[in-house]
Amino acid sequence: MEELSNEKILIGKLIDELKRKVLDILNIQDISLSDIDNNAPLVGNELGIDSIDILELVTVIEKDYGVRIDNKELGQKVFASFASLAQYIYDNRTLI
Amino acid sequence: MMASEGIFITGSGILNPLGRGHLSTLRSLKNSVRGIRNINLFEVAADQLMPVANIDTPLKIEDGIPRTHALALAAAQDAMEGHRCTPDAIVIGVTTGGMSKSEVLLNSGVKSPKEFAYHGTGTVATYLAKHFSCHGPVFTISTACSSGTVAIKIALELIRQGKANRVLAGGVDALCWFTYFGFLSLQLLDPKGARPLDRDRAGISLGEGAAMFLIERAKNPPPGSVTQVLGGGISCDAYHPTAPHPTGDGALKAMRDAIADAGIDAADIGYVNLHGTATMDNDASEAMALKRLFGDRIPPLSSTKGMTGHSLGAAGAVEFAICSLSVSEGIIPGNIGCMNLDSSLGILPVLKPESRPVKIAMSNSFGFGGNNASVIIGSVDVRPPDRPEAHPRSLQVTGLACLTGAGDMDASFQKFSQGISIAGTLNNEEISKDLSQRYVRRLKRISRMALALATAAHKNAGGGGKPSSIYFGTGWGPLSETYDFLTKLFESDMRFASPTDFINSVHNAPAGQVAMEFKSTGANMTASGGDYSFEQALWISSLLASEKEALLLFGADEMHKELSPLFDPSVALDTTPSDGGGAIMAIATTKPSGPTVTPLVYVMALKDAGWTIMNDLNISDDINAHYGAIFYGIPLAYEEMARNQLTNFLSHSGFRGPVIDYRKYTGQYAASSAVAVVLAIKTIEKGFLSAGLTGTGEVSLGKNGILVMGFGPYCTAIGIHN
Repeated sequence: MEELSNEKILIGKLIDELKRKVLDILNIQDISLSDIDNNAPLVGNELGIDSIDILELVTVIEKDYGVRIDNKELGQKVFASFASLAQYIYDNRTLI
Repeated sequence: MMASEGIFITGSGILNPLGRGHLSTLRSLKNSVRGIRNINLFEVAADQLMPVANIDTPLKIEDGIPRTHALALAAAQDAMEGHRCTPDAIVIGVTTGGMSKSEVLLNSGVKSPKEFAYHGTGTVATYLAKHFSCHGPVFTISTACSSGTVAIKIALELIRQGKANRVLAGGVDALCWFTYFGFLSLQLLDPKGARPLDRDRAGISLGEGAAMFLIERAKNPPPGSVTQVLGGGISCDAYHPTAPHPTGDGALKAMRDAIADAGIDAADIGYVNLHGTATMDNDASEAMALKRLFGDRIPPLSSTKGMTGHSLGAAGAVEFAICSLSVSEGIIPGNIGCMNLDSSLGILPVLKPESRPVKIAMSNSFGFGGNNASVIIGSVDVRPPDRPEAHPRSLQVTGLACLTGAGDMDASFQKFSQGISIAGTLNNEEISKDLSQRYVRRLKRISRMALALATAAHKNAGGGGKPSSIYFGTGWGPLSETYDFLTKLFESDMRFASPTDFINSVHNAPAGQVAMEFKSTGANMTASGGDYSFEQALWISSLLASEKEALLLFGADEMHKELSPLFDPSVALDTTPSDGGGAIMAIATTKPSGPTVTPLVYVMALKDAGWTIMNDLNISDDINAHYGAIFYGIPLAYEEMARNQLTNFLSHSGFRGPVIDYRKYTGQYAASSAVAVVLAIKTIEKGFLSAGLTGTGEVSLGKNGILVMGFGPYCTAIGIHN
């Protein structure tokens, strides 16, 4: 039980870290972290993120977490939402 | 041009992964040789290894010359073999220029501008011009993967409109880190090699190549010529920086325009060489366009990129050569690489090479920025329809804008007209202050300049109709993106590259952004020939625009503190870092009224420049009866040579009015001529030059125009009239 809640806390932190990273890397200036729904789709919402941005995030995620997302099918699953992205990175990260 | 004349291919050279020359290429096409294998040009980490199509043919490379130039020269020499003539003009499509050399130098920290003398895309065409002693217009097209095809269409128009009798035209690109790791970051390289039209296709195989053609007009087919250029069409999706239009609108328009231009019917086409890159999106969009064009009578077609790979700026020229072989040898090449045909596409390619007569073939090329081009090639016995004599058009100005170190056009003109410097640089936020942050968040410097210039010029024109075509000249393209892309790549030991920087680093990205903004689906041209890029864009607009077409012509260059002084020798010598650009909204017409811009002279530097310029200016009486002032630009790096040309011209012409050195005010950058043209138009509107500018007192222009001239490696003149 304790481990599970620990995971929840870490993923929560990771989600915030990822949101900050995404806004910074994609130069999105007019939205605050709290406005972003953890479970909303990343692409095609008010963030205005498209496929080029996703590819940009792919390189950053590999660089910063050692997690490789090198095909479209996996990408669609992982980038479904910030929650799914954080979970995937949490489960697969090789860089801390 | 005279009725019933044809435009024939009298010489051609092809160098590609299938071999050098027509015989070896033909043999490879007949044997369905897949030229795609592991890269041997440079080292790549095992987990980044993707098959490519690199050229193994031994290549003689002159000391210090980049691979792109060597490939171009080899193909051009083959095209010119047996010809004693000199081409009147050269048009080259290329995207990488000297990047294969520059990236290695940059990675080793080399800081000497001399080492980068062959970096510019325009240096390829100039290298060929020197080799073949061509003095005429020398143009460089950089419209990503449609470049090679566009070059052929421009060659065709130079001939049709009486500006040249024989043109050397083609495309070239060499494999380099930049494009390899760029496409890798876009996840667009298929680990199994390109599989065009396959249901499991997963991207391109990057290739390299060069194909050059000597194209000549003649009443009857010249000895040895077996094919002719019948027509070409150019369009822009104006939809997305990289993804093609989902239902192929732009591709369809390019093909329809090419067919109309050739004066044939779609049913006359016996073979289509597809763009067929083997990305999911391209093949789907192109198939859609083909079905819309041909209905249920689709001619034999194939993509040859499963054999040759995708050689970017060279692809269109290489495939034009393949189409020429198809017509001359009666072969339909196979769509090699496709194992399981994607039936959802609804088109059926020729899977294995077939022998059958082809009288007319069409080649498609589409690229980043939504740039599309199609060309039509026919056997020599096809009789092209008579067409009315055509001439290059002038641009009737409807709106203006510029950006300089002094700010926008009003701020710039106010200072300039009083003889005060407008050199310097604005910061990125100032440049894009009138653009929405959301819209420009992914754009660095030059694309912001482009959008700011385009929207300001449109507003200045009264904000009415949007331009249907876009013409852009840039000496160096997006330097911020180029630098950031390479820096990230080098710092990560080739592990990481930015796909956003890659996409936005192509020279035609700024013009593509403008096309998206205005939904401009006509031609979208980017010329990139160093200090003369804006002049080239102007010439090309006057050749391609149709009567009464609304267009936007602009030029821009950005100051990048690391790259500009390395690439541009004049920037290296200047003390005030400067950049900017100018934009003109215009109507193309042969019967202009009001302020107009007309391209007059574009020649390579000659000893006796004055005589040649006067000849091309076409003034038989007193030059002072036509022009009241000259604004001239001398790139600092060519000061001595250019001063001599200017002196020679002034004494030869007997010009007596004020002669203004505009770079003294704008600072040193390639696109400063775009600013000069805008300032010249403003000066004509005002009617006089102030004492501050002339240094000798106020000078009224009366009804006279202004000549905006360039000196240095090329001599240029643009006429501004009221």
